[in-house]
Amino acid sequence: MADLLELVVSATASGCIYALVALAYLLILRPTSVINFAVGEWVATGAFIGVAVQTPLAWPGLEGPYWLALLAVPAILGVLGWLVDVLTVRPLIRRGASATSPILALLGVLVIFREGLTIVFGADPLPSPPPFGFKRIAFGPFAGVSQQFLIIAATFVLFAATWLFFERTVWGRALEAVALNRRAAALMGINLRRVTTFAFVSGAAVAGLAGLLMSPLTSAHYLMGLPLAIQGFTALVIGGVGRIEGALLGGLVLAFVEQFGARYLPIPSGLTLGFPFVLLMVFLFLRPSGLIAPREAR
Amino acid sequence: MSVLHMSRGAIAATVLLAQGAVVSAQDTIKVGVITDRVASAKFYAEPVTRGVELGAKVLNDNGGVLGKKIELIIEDDQNKPDVSAAKARKLVDDGVVAIISNTGSPATQQAQTVSLETKTLHLTPANSADTLTTQLADPYFFQTGPLASIQLATLMAYTKSRGFKEVAIVRDNSVLSQSFADSFRKGLEKAGIKIALEEVIPQGATSAIANLQKVRAAKVDAILQAGVLGPEMLQFFRAYQQLGMKEPILGSYNLSIPAYLTMAKDLMDGVVFVDAFDINKPEAKAFTQAFVKEYSEQPSSLPAYGWDGIRLIAQAVTKAGSLDKEKLREAMASTTNFVGAIGAKGTSWGFRDGKRTGFDPQGAVVRIIKDNQHGPVVYAGQN
Repeated sequence: MADLLELVVSATASGCIYALVALAYLLILRPTSVINFAVGEWVATGAFIGVAVQTPLAWPGLEGPYWLALLAVPAILGVLGWLVDVLTVRPLIRRGASATSPILALLGVLVIFREGLTIVFGADPLPSPPPFGFKRIAFGPFAGVSQQFLIIAATFVLFAATWLFFERTVWGRALEAVALNRRAAALMGINLRRVTTFAFVSGAAVAGLAGLLMSPLTSAHYLMGLPLAIQGFTALVIGGVGRIEGALLGGLVLAFVEQFGARYLPIPSGLTLGFPFVLLMVFLFLRPSGLIAPREAR
Repeated sequence: MSVLHMSRGAIAATVLLAQGAVVSAQDTIKVGVITDRVASAKFYAEPVTRGVELGAKVLNDNGGVLGKKIELIIEDDQNKPDVSAAKARKLVDDGVVAIISNTGSPATQQAQTVSLETKTLHLTPANSADTLTTQLADPYFFQTGPLASIQLATLMAYTKSRGFKEVAIVRDNSVLSQSFADSFRKGLEKAGIKIALEEVIPQGATSAIANLQKVRAAKVDAILQAGVLGPEMLQFFRAYQQLGMKEPILGSYNLSIPAYLTMAKDLMDGVVFVDAFDINKPEAKAFTQAFVKEYSEQPSSLPAYGWDGIRLIAQAVTKAGSLDKEKLREAMASTTNFVGAIGAKGTSWGFRDGKRTGFDPQGAVVRIIKDNQHGPVVYAGQN
């Protein structure tokens, strides 16, 4: 039983990371219809910036506190997200390019970010300092390390804030309106360019935060982006692309299947590598709308 | 002055400069080094190259070889076999008398095509692939790195000496890790040790708790760590600590790469791994002193491979008494009883019986990690 509850904590923490990546996809996809596979590299960038802020890597002799990294990572990633929008997506939309063009352009952005990280930070994985150490702590029967509980708490706060934003603010309503019907929203006076900018800035900021939260467990390394991009996308498909809650649910389902499958299924552990792909195919074939149906379909 | 006169003057000056360059080149003994500065072999290639540089500096400070200074020409092959061969050819064109390959084994294998064709002395002081001297009959190529089979035999002998009867193998899904796990499996089966389970931590994993819980539930005597990917190894060690596990961890020579100590700081104490370096051996102490003096830091075992490599070439040049390629090859092939910084106490290198692998089968050791450092030898040889 102790094993099971400890695995629940581990899977929830991993699921929260997948959920944040899925949320980054969702924030961009809903109002713009653009699938941005570069979010994985934004996660990696967030992880490296977090290390740079908290260690003497960037400024020898200076080590910033964790709260500074919490401010710096979303701020810098937001600027990078804005630049990606201005330099790649917006020119394509302006020239009337096909719907797939921004997706392909963003695959190029993925490569640029990855190579950029190796040039700036090198190819070696960098250890990322955890804000509360790695002490094993327990909440009742649930045990884990402090970073796992921090990830879970931060994710739920972020999702709650995002949900409130979309459900309770005019800006959130405007974004939702664009997601439901872009043309009608434009005719109602909603500025689509601002909406697109907001989508890329917020998506990049969330992805960066995911990297900052995750890196103490995994280190910051330039290859960390692609697996997360796949897992985050799978989580999005599982949960459904229409709702914020879907991203969270999809992330948790994926992580629980991965980790409980690896622990309890009587199969060689190497086969568990295929779980995300199997789930992706199952949902795309059998329930393409995901576990939580989009608002317009309700 | 006419244009013609100016041209003649320029040509004369160029000829004089070129002659000067030739004279200058003859004043040094050029040795080529192929390393990996940016790609997957960088972890170990760069420290080994650092050892070559230190060895060359110390030799030069002591008067050089045959009265000439050693001049290193270092090339980066990015651990790519095709690039490695191209770099080897460039080095030969640059006039090197020998090439030291510190990059990955497949790249070194490819570079041999050039050393064979150009009859250039070629040494790898750190590569461990068993096939480097068997796939190509290149009499100019020599290997002094501890063969993978020797390291495996030492690790298995240690495993047996500890009385382990049932073990788990934990690896990642990289090709190299699979190769390590395959070697472990064969060695364990040969030694009659049962493999209870094999766990794979996939690249990109965010937790290894499930894997380690399975290992803990299997109640094995020890865990053989065959992972090579840093972040996934970090997951392994974190989960091991988090679950409060006590099973001994045995690692491949991959763990002699110092970068893991930084990445998994405070998590690896007590782990044992195969190496070829005994810090209490006099030759290792001499190397360590020179390294600390030059770089003001404690070395890992990796630079010692390079240090030994350049000294072995210097010894061959001294023995040959000239830079004639055939004489150099003969001098290297006749090496016996070379005691370097690498190798267990009481062992030596030598290319006996026409073999071109010089590492002593009893030369590998098992070391323990203590206080975030590669610590003392706990086992040596294969007995």
